[in-house]
Amino acid sequence: MRAWELIKETFFRRGYIWIVHVIWLVLYGSFWWLMIPEGDEFGRFIFIWGGFLLPLALSAGIFGDDVSSGRICVLVTKPFWAGQLYLYRLAGLALQAAVHLALAGIIVVVLHAIMRKGRLDHLGSWLLATWLLFVTCASLSASLSIIVGRAFNSLLLLVIVVTGYFVVTLLMAYLRQQSSGGVLMSFIRYAWPPFELLSKFAGGEYRQFSLTVGRFSLTKSAACIVHSLMLTVGYSVVGIILLCTREFSRVRD
Amino acid sequence: MWIRNKGHVGIMIVAACLLLESWALHVVGSSPARWRPALAVQDEPTAHALYNAMIQAMREAQSLSYTSRCSSPDGRTCTHKVRLKKPGNLCVVMTNDPSTRLTTLASDGTYLWTYWSGDRSFLRVDVEDDYEQSKSNVYVKQAFLPEETSVQGEISCLGLTWFGPINDPSLFHGRVDPLESQMDGVRSRGPHRVRGEDFDVIEVSYLKARRTRYFWLSRQDHLPRRIKEIVRVAENKVTVEEWSDVTINGEIPQKTFTWSPPEGWRQWIPPVPEVSLLKEGQEAPDFELQSARGGEIRLSDYRGKVVWLYFWDTESAQCREEIPALQKLYQEYKDKGLAILGFNCTDNRRIARAFLRENKATFPTVLDTSDVATGLMHIGYGNRTGLMPLSYIVDSQGKIADAWYGQDQDPDRILDILKKAGFGPAR
Repeated sequence: MRAWELIKETFFRRGYIWIVHVIWLVLYGSFWWLMIPEGDEFGRFIFIWGGFLLPLALSAGIFGDDVSSGRICVLVTKPFWAGQLYLYRLAGLALQAAVHLALAGIIVVVLHAIMRKGRLDHLGSWLLATWLLFVTCASLSASLSIIVGRAFNSLLLLVIVVTGYFVVTLLMAYLRQQSSGGVLMSFIRYAWPPFELLSKFAGGEYRQFSLTVGRFSLTKSAACIVHSLMLTVGYSVVGIILLCTREFSRVRD
Repeated sequence: MWIRNKGHVGIMIVAACLLLESWALHVVGSSPARWRPALAVQDEPTAHALYNAMIQAMREAQSLSYTSRCSSPDGRTCTHKVRLKKPGNLCVVMTNDPSTRLTTLASDGTYLWTYWSGDRSFLRVDVEDDYEQSKSNVYVKQAFLPEETSVQGEISCLGLTWFGPINDPSLFHGRVDPLESQMDGVRSRGPHRVRGEDFDVIEVSYLKARRTRYFWLSRQDHLPRRIKEIVRVAENKVTVEEWSDVTINGEIPQKTFTWSPPEGWRQWIPPVPEVSLLKEGQEAPDFELQSARGGEIRLSDYRGKVVWLYFWDTESAQCREEIPALQKLYQEYKDKGLAILGFNCTDNRRIARAFLRENKATFPTVLDTSDVATGLMHIGYGNRTGLMPLSYIVDSQGKIADAWYGQDQDPDRILDILKKAGFGPAR
């Protein structure tokens, strides 16, 4: 019961959340309607909007609001284990994303059936990759929300990722031949939300363009999924530890 | 009993997570095609028979038409509509997707015509200034020798599309794939069912796995429906070619293969690759690039010596033949004022180093695939088409004395060039 309430709360906690879902779904439909894209083009679109921007919008202030208002002290009062609060809220976001992406898939399939144009290549893989990216980004954003007040967690994450993208692109141009370039790339590839790995997996690179045929491509796809889930676990553990160890104030800031 | 302890359960979960993540990182981070000699496949007679059946099916057909769609991981695709008919007829209509500009190669057995729908694209051999004058209403006409002219070669050399078909359509006319002599072996990768059709998948490796091709061969006609090629150069390049609308011995009207230039069109003769090379007396661009043995090589360090700067790669048959001869020359004259400097900016480092070791080549070699090195070769030294080998003779003042493509068979001519550049013992 408590779990369900916490899960539901992630949807009802702010009035704009359902509007975000509707706007995003309209965007997917419009993109398909206007662009008549190839499957992978649509996949990349939904991957960024649904996998990265949607969790930022849905998780804005997910803990920060309670921290700022002092409500968090009530929520984490024993015997309620603070980790449960984190896990159920993350589960709430993941559930919203699953329903959201299922609806997105239905919209696209219906549009495809009506228009008889465009291609649905790898749509299933893209939706799965989008969901995986969503939960990874949502857990990172939720953990940030514990230390950053109000709804600044999403803004901070957006700024870090966008700035990081440009800085790393520039740095890589200089460091390409140096070992420090490899270290930086490995850090970005494996410690940050797995944009590259999941898009490769969803785009079929580990299938069609894999460097061999047969079982290896399947193993590599599975490894991408496992790595993405482990990152989610890692970010969540950090968030839970923060939530359990931080001293919160009842005073409204 | 032990598992009832919550702490132990926690430790087990953490350990399981760490194990899973280690496995995932190992698999994601590993590159199965990171070149190693063991990637070269051992020949399996049954698989080789399938390969031969494919070649035979292409050669024995009286006519063959198919659409080939080539794609690469970066999302670029190009389409080739291929129609072939014996004797010596071919028509290949190509486009880089999603462009609507068509490039057509057509031959009725005597000439090979190349023409465009609209302005032609900027080709690899083009010179900026000349392009504007020769982009509209032009065609290329050249002699066509069905068993010798390579359609794939024409497409690649001129850069008519992003990538040419992996399986050269010229196989239909009896041309032998030059890579066949460098084949390591063919092995079976088992059956594979795609869109309801069963295929035999074979793996063919060439040049000790520098290049690997996978063929999905139809059990109905032995022709491929999908070919995947991995070229292990500086980075692994993967291209996938998919065949559709395959028709064997169907009726293809003769007019498909005949073409005559419309009124007002003129013949364009593509510049020969030599046009863009540095000319005699020009300063050889200096460089400081990674050496095959570690450290750096600087051209200016060889000032005072005559330098034979040799651009090579391991795929070129001529390079493979010429490098042992160069090594001999290097041994003989290295202390007498002649420096031989290899330059390789295309090959995978491991492959190139293994090749140098096998050939006991000890002359200094630049082995650097950075943008600086490739830019220097393509722009600084004018090798826009990337043809190999390319030789430059640089005199003791650092000026170009001569340049040529290919393997020079005539030792006297080489000696004359070296003499002209001021190399003493050649006198």
